[in-house]
Amino acid sequence: MVLKIFFPRCCNMADSGLLVGRWIPGQDSAVVLAVIHYPFIPGQVKKYLSELHSQTQVDLTILGSWSFSKDSQKDMDEFLKDLSTIFSHSRWLQLSREPGKKGFACEVVHKNGHAAGDEEHEIIFVHYDQRKVMLSQLHPVQENGADVKSSELRAVFHTVSQSEPLFLFDKYDDGPLKLTHWQSDGREASILVELIKQASVPVCMLLTLLVGYRTEQFQTVFSTSKATTHMEFMRKANIFVSFFVDTALGLLLISWLYRENRISYLANTLVPAADHVAKELQNLLEWLMGAPAGLKMNRALDEVLGKFFLYHIHLWISYIRLMSPFIEMILWYVGLSACLGLTFALSVLSDIVALLTFHIYCFYVYGARLYCLKIYGLSSLWRLFRGKKWNVLRQRVDSCSYDLDQLFLGTLLFTILLFLLPTTALYYLVFTLLRLVVVTFQGLIHLSVDFINSFPLFALGLRICRPYRLAEGVKFCVLHEEPGAPLHLLMECYRTETSSCSSRDSWLTLVKKLFVGELIYPWRQKSTKTD
Amino acid sequence: MGADSDAGETPAVPWRKVLYERQPFPDNYVDRRFLEELRRNIRVRQYSYWSVVREAGLVSQQLSCVALFLTLWSYMEQGNVAPSTLLCTGLGCSVLGYALYEALGGEGCRERTRCADLQSAAVFMAFTFGFSPVLKTLTESVSTDTVYAMSAGMLTAHLVFFPYTQPSLPGSLSLNAALFASVCLASRLPGTLHTFAMLSCGLLIFALWPCLLQRLRRAAQWTFPWAAGTVCVCGVGGVWTLWPVGAVLLFLALIVLTLVCPLLLVRLQRHKDNIHGPWDEAEIREDLSRFLS
Repeated sequence: MVLKIFFPRCCNMADSGLLVGRWIPGQDSAVVLAVIHYPFIPGQVKKYLSELHSQTQVDLTILGSWSFSKDSQKDMDEFLKDLSTIFSHSRWLQLSREPGKKGFACEVVHKNGHAAGDEEHEIIFVHYDQRKVMLSQLHPVQENGADVKSSELRAVFHTVSQSEPLFLFDKYDDGPLKLTHWQSDGREASILVELIKQASVPVCMLLTLLVGYRTEQFQTVFSTSKATTHMEFMRKANIFVSFFVDTALGLLLISWLYRENRISYLANTLVPAADHVAKELQNLLEWLMGAPAGLKMNRALDEVLGKFFLYHIHLWISYIRLMSPFIEMILWYVGLSACLGLTFALSVLSDIVALLTFHIYCFYVYGARLYCLKIYGLSSLWRLFRGKKWNVLRQRVDSCSYDLDQLFLGTLLFTILLFLLPTTALYYLVFTLLRLVVVTFQGLIHLSVDFINSFPLFALGLRICRPYRLAEGVKFCVLHEEPGAPLHLLMECYRTETSSCSSRDSWLTLVKKLFVGELIYPWRQKSTKTD
Repeated sequence: MGADSDAGETPAVPWRKVLYERQPFPDNYVDRRFLEELRRNIRVRQYSYWSVVREAGLVSQQLSCVALFLTLWSYMEQGNVAPSTLLCTGLGCSVLGYALYEALGGEGCRERTRCADLQSAAVFMAFTFGFSPVLKTLTESVSTDTVYAMSAGMLTAHLVFFPYTQPSLPGSLSLNAALFASVCLASRLPGTLHTFAMLSCGLLIFALWPCLLQRLRRAAQWTFPWAAGTVCVCGVGGVWTLWPVGAVLLFLALIVLTLVCPLLLVRLQRHKDNIHGPWDEAEIREDLSRFLS
């Protein structure tokens, strides 16, 4: 028989008292949750436990006693015996630790009063970190009790996570009982969290009214229902943090933009740039109207198309001249929108680019329409050329006998389209390439907007600051082993199987190795690790 | 016959060629009467030489048509024939041909009214005339060799795909190929009117002449050899004025097509040996999926 005792690390140095915890049903193991310190009234302890039981549905009991003092054990013995009679149970644990010693001494007392020593029971202490177990979200949330019984570790996690109300007391609370557990030194950032919770809803309602494009995200973040699963919580936190960062970056951009008259400088460079692009396009068209790269274009069609596009550029240049006095003002007002977030500013930039390259878009549309029309006509006339036609009802190509005039006209048109195709295709190709450049630029902007919106900053922060909250499993390592004394194991969370577990130990060894001059390798040495 | 010898003990019941009865024979059993049903050459036709020559005349005259068209085109290109002359000649020919066509047509069984014919003619004229400036500049930047190669390919396609067996109306592909070739060639001519004249000429030769010839064959059998012969003579004569060697070659080709090829066909027909019998012919099916996967 091996008796396993899951002991929280935070209680290692706790003052003497009673061990609150639970015997895992069906397993020979106990979970210690907290230590109740000595000046207490047994009736109050029992009442408190029953209250907890009604709140959490977890069968919490007094497991035994904990003594950690310099006083000699013998004075306490009688007192502890008395305690075991007050809190009657089948088994009573007597844990004691002497300062300066690493291991615990443990004694298991059965109800009939006779102390069973280590001969009968082999005892293993598993030290776990309550904070990590609570926050690692390894415990199954929606599982019912029947499933929980299936695995011992699951039962442990379940017990710890379910007895959350037990950890709400801290040492600053005025209560009849004093406890030691992971939050007994004060809860983690609780005031801040509460304040933010209170303030966030009205603030974000306001923001939702102001900014429509994040409505969906806000609905996720500020839905009144609590995030039930870990994933949902992570999503909410991620969206919130990304929004926060986004706004901060936007404000940074504003502060950069509105200093040193940068807006007018920008406006003064923008108009000549657009002009320059128009000039370059004009040159390109003139090149196309000649014999570009020795290609054999139809001269007449080439001239017609070139003149058409040149006229468009002419229109565009006059439009830009007309716009130029107002551009600075427009930019000034548009720049203000950056206070709604960097993503907003980037989206506005994308729209401005789309507006400034409207001529390229027009050319592209004309070219594509013309080309599409030609390809479509050629494909249907090619069917006519072979004496076939497309049967719409049966969705297939049928043979068909055409009239003489149909054939003649069709062939005439086919020949004309075929010989004009290269010219159109060249114009289409050039303008499609130009369009692709613009689309790529806009795509990059959209990609970065998407990146800012969806970057899991919160998860990244957690990964760096609180890695145990993203734990995947637990592992045990030997903490203290001494013949004759109970075995002490340390339960640790690890993130993933593949990534190396960077405990402080390994950092220390790394530094030591560096200092001594041992060879170091990026991969991990095989360590004695058991799950 | 392996199955025959296997089951040749003493069958009590005679074998019958039925599937609905259970018989004491293997499934692939056949008896001695199997080869009695062998037939040889049941669908082989014995051609008479002159009828084959008459049919082959159609091929020759089509070849001559192409030669004639090319001759006319080179005359136009060199400027030896004014486009108006060609147009007038074409108009006269088409009027004559139409009259002949109408005269030979049977009474009552007209598919098209005269009005529809006139409409078609108007469409030809209007579109050809309207498009000829476009067609004129169409192949300007394309090199002459490319145009010639395309035309040659298209005319060959016309000759290959021409429906010689049932030349009611020229088949779509062959006519379209010929028209494509004529558009290509016409676009190399010096003037707009030249293009128009050449296209009309092409239409006459490749679209309307086969219709007339078909009607001639059906209505008056005896006229067909004369018509075909005339076309052949015209073709060879036309080429002779430009390029005598080519004319000789064309003449030889026509002789081979009209006289030698039918002789070969009739000679080789004797060696034909087809067997037919009560068996399913073996089909070799390559299982391509084996190779594809």
